[in-house]
Amino acid sequence: MTDLADAHKKPLVQLLFSIADDKLVLGHRNADWTGLGPILEEDIAFSALAQDDIAHAGAIYGLIADITGGDADHLAYGRTANTYRCCDLVELNDEFDWAVAVVRQFFCDHFEHLRLRRLSRSNWTKLRQLASRMLAEENLAIGHADQWIVRLAKSTSEARGRIQHAVTKLAPLTPSLFEPTEGMADLEAAGVYPPLEAPMFDAWESMIANVIDETGLRAEFRAPAKDYVGGRHGKHSADFAAMLSEMTEVYREEPAAQW
Amino acid sequence: MVAAKPTVDSIRAILGTVIDPEMPIDIVNLGLVHDVRVVSGDDGARAEIDLIPTFIGCPALDMIRDDVRKRVTKAPGVVEVAVRFLNDPPWSIERITPAGREALREFGVTTPERGGAPRPTPLTIAGNIAAPVGVGERPACPFCGSAKTRMESAFGPTRCKMIFYCDACKNSFEHLKPI
Repeated sequence: MTDLADAHKKPLVQLLFSIADDKLVLGHRNADWTGLGPILEEDIAFSALAQDDIAHAGAIYGLIADITGGDADHLAYGRTANTYRCCDLVELNDEFDWAVAVVRQFFCDHFEHLRLRRLSRSNWTKLRQLASRMLAEENLAIGHADQWIVRLAKSTSEARGRIQHAVTKLAPLTPSLFEPTEGMADLEAAGVYPPLEAPMFDAWESMIANVIDETGLRAEFRAPAKDYVGGRHGKHSADFAAMLSEMTEVYREEPAAQW
Repeated sequence: MVAAKPTVDSIRAILGTVIDPEMPIDIVNLGLVHDVRVVSGDDGARAEIDLIPTFIGCPALDMIRDDVRKRVTKAPGVVEVAVRFLNDPPWSIERITPAGREALREFGVTTPERGGAPRPTPLTIAGNIAAPVGVGERPACPFCGSAKTRMESAFGPTRCKMIFYCDACKNSFEHLKPI
């Protein structure tokens, strides 16, 4: 369909914010590795991932602006903290532990793949076209983190220990990915955000298990509890406040700046 | 004297002079031009140009848009230029013309075989971890023609390229991603 029904606008904007905010925040975190990657190829890889994340976020903010008015830069940088819809996992400060950055990328890549796969079947044409384009780009990168998880887990005991530590640290944050945004059930029923054949968490867990099982790493994942309230409803981690302040510093200084 | 009237063909010819800042070929041969329309008005023609980006995150898009505007605005009879970037149809390496592929190769950038893209989704299926994009590809070296090439990094200097290495002539070169 060409036009979005009025009743779906509000819940769709919430869903789109959760995607764009995840990508913007993850892209900001990944950009921290520019110049600091453990090897040159990974320096470039994380910079490229950040570039895609932030560009994709920009395109989604543009789509939100089409629905609500306003402009993409303001939507990205000019909102108050409790209106962001990103989740705890992307907000985490990796404190320059590259194992943490790789494991976070691994968890997020597979989740993002599933989310975009659903959006690429949306009955709203504009969303379907944008998501299909993004999915094709994401698919070029999805093997990257998988390969590092396997490679490091099968490497020296130090490398394996660091990956295991990161998996153990980040697994408890993964339910935050799956918290539904306000009104998501309506979007699913209406075909704007069509469900997968399996529940989202089950589909994600089986993709993750394909890689984890190969390595013998220990990991336990849970879907969010029914009463879980987190980033998708504006309740953010302590790491987020510090990051948001840093990320929006230039914008707050000069909102009309062009560069 | 009759004023020159811009046509779709004359606008396309101008677009053929716009060079992608990150690729040594023009945007027509690169396959970025989707549609060109010329709408006549009372005081002159409006040129509407629909382009498609190689990648959403390509930082060259603004430069390309500005260059298109600047050049087409100078065409006799054109009073307005509208440039849009579309998400659909998606760009793919299939859109690069044979002449464009040859020009890229001469410059040292190889392109996956036609018909090779789009690649199937590289996902972990039935317990097998799929190889990342680029692994197993053996493009002929653009410098010496050898097939003894291999991927060095799936992430290259721009969003659309990977880094490959030729074991025969010991040169590295860029290979476009199979999107």
